[in-house]
Amino acid sequence: MTTWFRRGGFSTLLFLLPLIVIFGVFSWFPIVRAAVMSVQQTNLVTAPRFVGLDNFQTVFEDPLLWTAVQNTALFALIALVLGYPVPLVLAVIMSEVRRFRGVFTAIAYLPVVVPPVVAVLMWKVFYDARPEGVFNTMLGWVGLGPYQWLQSAGTAMPSLVIEATWAAAGGTVIIYLAALIAVPHELYEAAEVDGAGLWRKVWNVTMPQLRGVLLVTLILQIISTSQVFLEPFLFTGGGPANSTLTVLLLIYDYAFASSLGGDYGAATALSLMLAAFLAVMSAVYFWLTRTWSTS
Amino acid sequence: MKSYRRTTVALAAAAAVAGLLAGCSGSSDQPGTGGPIAISVVSLKPGSEQSAFDAFEEQVRQFEAANPGIDVTTQEYEWTGPTFTAQLAGGTLPTVFTVPFTDGQGLIARGQLADISQYIEGFGYTDQFNPAILAAGQGTDGHIYGVPTAAYGVGLHYNRTLFTQAGLDPNKPPTSWDEVRSYAKQIADRTGQAGYAEMTQENTGGWMLTSLTYALGGRMQQVQGENAQATIDNPQAVQALNLLRDMRWTDNSMGSNFLYDWAGINQDFAAGKIGMYMGGSDVYESLAQQNNINPDDYGLSVLPLQPGGKAGLLGGGTLAAVNVRATPEQAEAGAKWIDFYYMSKFVRENAAVLDAQTKANADQPVGMPQLPIFNRATLDQYNQWISPFVNVPLDQMSSFTNGIFQQDLAGEPPAHAQEMYAVLDSVVQAVLTDPNANINQLLTTADAEVQTILDRG
Amino acid sequence: MSTPTRTRPQPAPDGTAAAGSAPAPTRSRTGRRRDRPAEPVFRGIVSSSEWRSPSVRIGLGLTQALLLVGLVVVALGPLLWLVKASITPTQDTLRDPMALFPSGVDWANLSTAWSSVHIDLHFANSMIVASGAWLVQIVVATTGGYALSILKPRYGPVLYWLVLSTLFVPAVVLLVPLYLTVLSPPLIGQSLINTFWAVWLPAGANAFNVLLAKRFFDNLPGEIFEAARIDGAGPFRVFWSVLLPMSRPILGVISVFAFVAAWKDFLWPLLVLPDPDMQPLSVRLPTLANSIELDILLAALMISALIPVVLFLIFQRTFLRTAGLGGAIKG
Repeated sequence: MTTWFRRGGFSTLLFLLPLIVIFGVFSWFPIVRAAVMSVQQTNLVTAPRFVGLDNFQTVFEDPLLWTAVQNTALFALIALVLGYPVPLVLAVIMSEVRRFRGVFTAIAYLPVVVPPVVAVLMWKVFYDARPEGVFNTMLGWVGLGPYQWLQSAGTAMPSLVIEATWAAAGGTVIIYLAALIAVPHELYEAAEVDGAGLWRKVWNVTMPQLRGVLLVTLILQIISTSQVFLEPFLFTGGGPANSTLTVLLLIYDYAFASSLGGDYGAATALSLMLAAFLAVMSAVYFWLTRTWSTS
Repeated sequence: MKSYRRTTVALAAAAAVAGLLAGCSGSSDQPGTGGPIAISVVSLKPGSEQSAFDAFEEQVRQFEAANPGIDVTTQEYEWTGPTFTAQLAGGTLPTVFTVPFTDGQGLIARGQLADISQYIEGFGYTDQFNPAILAAGQGTDGHIYGVPTAAYGVGLHYNRTLFTQAGLDPNKPPTSWDEVRSYAKQIADRTGQAGYAEMTQENTGGWMLTSLTYALGGRMQQVQGENAQATIDNPQAVQALNLLRDMRWTDNSMGSNFLYDWAGINQDFAAGKIGMYMGGSDVYESLAQQNNINPDDYGLSVLPLQPGGKAGLLGGGTLAAVNVRATPEQAEAGAKWIDFYYMSKFVRENAAVLDAQTKANADQPVGMPQLPIFNRATLDQYNQWISPFVNVPLDQMSSFTNGIFQQDLAGEPPAHAQEMYAVLDSVVQAVLTDPNANINQLLTTADAEVQTILDRG
Repeated sequence: MSTPTRTRPQPAPDGTAAAGSAPAPTRSRTGRRRDRPAEPVFRGIVSSSEWRSPSVRIGLGLTQALLLVGLVVVALGPLLWLVKASITPTQDTLRDPMALFPSGVDWANLSTAWSSVHIDLHFANSMIVASGAWLVQIVVATTGGYALSILKPRYGPVLYWLVLSTLFVPAVVLLVPLYLTVLSPPLIGQSLINTFWAVWLPAGANAFNVLLAKRFFDNLPGEIFEAARIDGAGPFRVFWSVLLPMSRPILGVISVFAFVAAWKDFLWPLLVLPDPDMQPLSVRLPTLANSIELDILLAALMISALIPVVLFLIFQRTFLRTAGLGGAIKG
């Protein structure tokens, strides 16, 4: 069969045309261009000039780089502490729901479908630092607060993470839930024959079975939190005092924040550095999923 | 306006498709010979009232009627660093746009603004400009690349209603920084609103810290010949930050938002949540057009300047410029628009009356206090021409209009002002959000950082 | 370089990957899940005998009830608050945000938001952006997947590898060069800035879609194409009349991906659509947030959230299946 189609070389090419054009212009070419631009000085006015590793040096000498890296790592860490165990616990409990599980999943997933910009702007109102703010009012009922939320270098980043976790946890729950349901029930039955109780089944059967998916979501979360942009951009603009400046925000600032024209070289240089880190993470991810799905 | 926008949307997709299919050879920016000259101009800030847009469109119609060969399209616009860069790089800036004084020299040096000397000189008032102000839009060759359309001084905006509620006399705004502090505390204590608030984001934090430092007698840069020296680490800047810290942490009179940008602080002020704040003296127009402020609330005063020393009032302004990508015909048409919309009202009575009348009819603010771009006599005459149409509460701004000419105006820092402001943003934010912020250390670090920027040239 | 194709559990022929098919309620849809033998009773960690024990049942029931309450408060609560606040006057929301309509309901907020601040316009823009991005992605994924999976040109594997390798390149690398590409695209010679093409076309370069489509097509029975060939159908006819009608499940998955991603996207449309009249909701709302009154803003936010929420409630199955599938690849 394949030989017959192969003869239609022209029509095959015709079918591949959209893919080749779109990927060529909007993916492959820009990727190559990024590599080239990182060793050039480009300001769109004068012709690009080769500058070797100057852009990388500029980035490395920028005191804000380390602030941004630390902040991004902090975001990833808090996101992990908050966003990693919570969906797992939710999913384990939800997997035991026998009736109306659909209601549970639907509610849990609801925040994910709210457009991120809407979620951030809404939470910005919640984080009103006045005692009359939404969260401060509610915490006031139990005698807590008022808290500064976004208005203090110490609490701004955790506040960002809380919103981000709210917005994303539902998706992780669904992934875990799928994995939980795929656990062969023979394993539980075997454990029961050995006299295992509920908790032992969770620890000795469920968790080992989830190891693969847990690792994958871990890597995925690291990949996505390293690229966090929307929350710091819209909540705090990187403030107060650069305490929520993330790597991606710094890239954006390099390229677009100066009103006299951006430093595209530094922006792409930093992008490539971040990409190198993410590529390692992706490679780990693919390696893991491969071993996971074949095992 | 609304139906116009709707049509735009409906046609946009179709036009885009058609444009791509047709290969888009004929750019709409390049009119054929004999056809109308198409230019695009910036209109008002996003979110302005519909009636403000209506008034603007009315002025566009007046212009097109007077210049039959020119076809004007409008684009709403608010100058902020990032959006401006993106538009600059993207080539999507309209034919005529505005930039702050601080960016004029940088943009001219980078060849981003069109030379419009010959057209502007044709209007016959270039020699009347205050030379110091015109310089903001002149290149090193002496040619005009940007026309100063408005000049402002930083003033102290205050909410008269909150003053009254706090037991303060709304006709007696503070005249020293000690009074600002004690008034702020009184407002905060008695009304629960922020007594004094400060902008801190998108370079406004640095802008306002510089204003306060100037008012206390300090300067942020020193220029010797070609070289600019950062002098951020000066005693007045320390004093300024200490004042902010005392208001924030000792008095707790600065409310609960320390991440205000320009639009955000205006919004909260108009909503009655702020007792006093520093800002450009021209901000009432925005407060009325965008934020729907109750005119009775509004008060404007000069900034208290520290007596003695070289305390100065930070002033700046707006340049109208023509896109360097414009054709000569478009540049000429753009210059005509600059003359029509921004300039002629200052020098011709009928233009002043028409402008004021159109705005007043649409219930838009007329008669905002401003600083002279030509000279004081010209401005006084202009104010007289438009006096029948003035609809802003000028008597509530009298302490500004009376006091401003006794103050020493000082221009914004000459080199890389916006970049310096960006560095200072985080300094101000640190002082306002961290009770243990080390002011001296923050300033030392910022000084070094800015010096690096200045040395880069 | 076939490793990435094993990133997920094998998709079943109907496109429902084992990972994603389960969470949606499937009770009454017998025959849908033919890959799994019919089970009389669902069982998970808890066995039927344990389930009969009152302590387990009460404990578990209580936990689940708590979970439900928790979910309603945490996940649904903010949205319910938004609905309330969207019809509450600003001053009430500022003074006591948790009170329920202390000075009455202000329905006018909604109409003001819709018409005066032009949520209608930006909503339409969002629809245009999402529809175009969806179409481009469908075209690229189906034609490309068809050629790579069925037509199999000699250079196919190389091309496929090139496509898949872009999965390793995070979007952030593309930000600036892609922006510059859109400024002066090759062949066209005119900037795409301020045209919807600037959002639509780059959306098509989505390797995951191609991967999904190709793997789905790989699993279709080859005899069908053979039969079509014997009937004299050419490659176009096969694509249009044989392949596409069989591909509805995978088209659904890609569609949800494409639509949701386009609806959510912020940074890219912010950069390429500076003209306020062309901006989708996500880009316009932050600008408006600084100029319109709080109650109008909250009404605008409510309207903007409502549409995807309603869509989700209607197409829950597809959404959740896609989430199970794609949650694992995004990022």
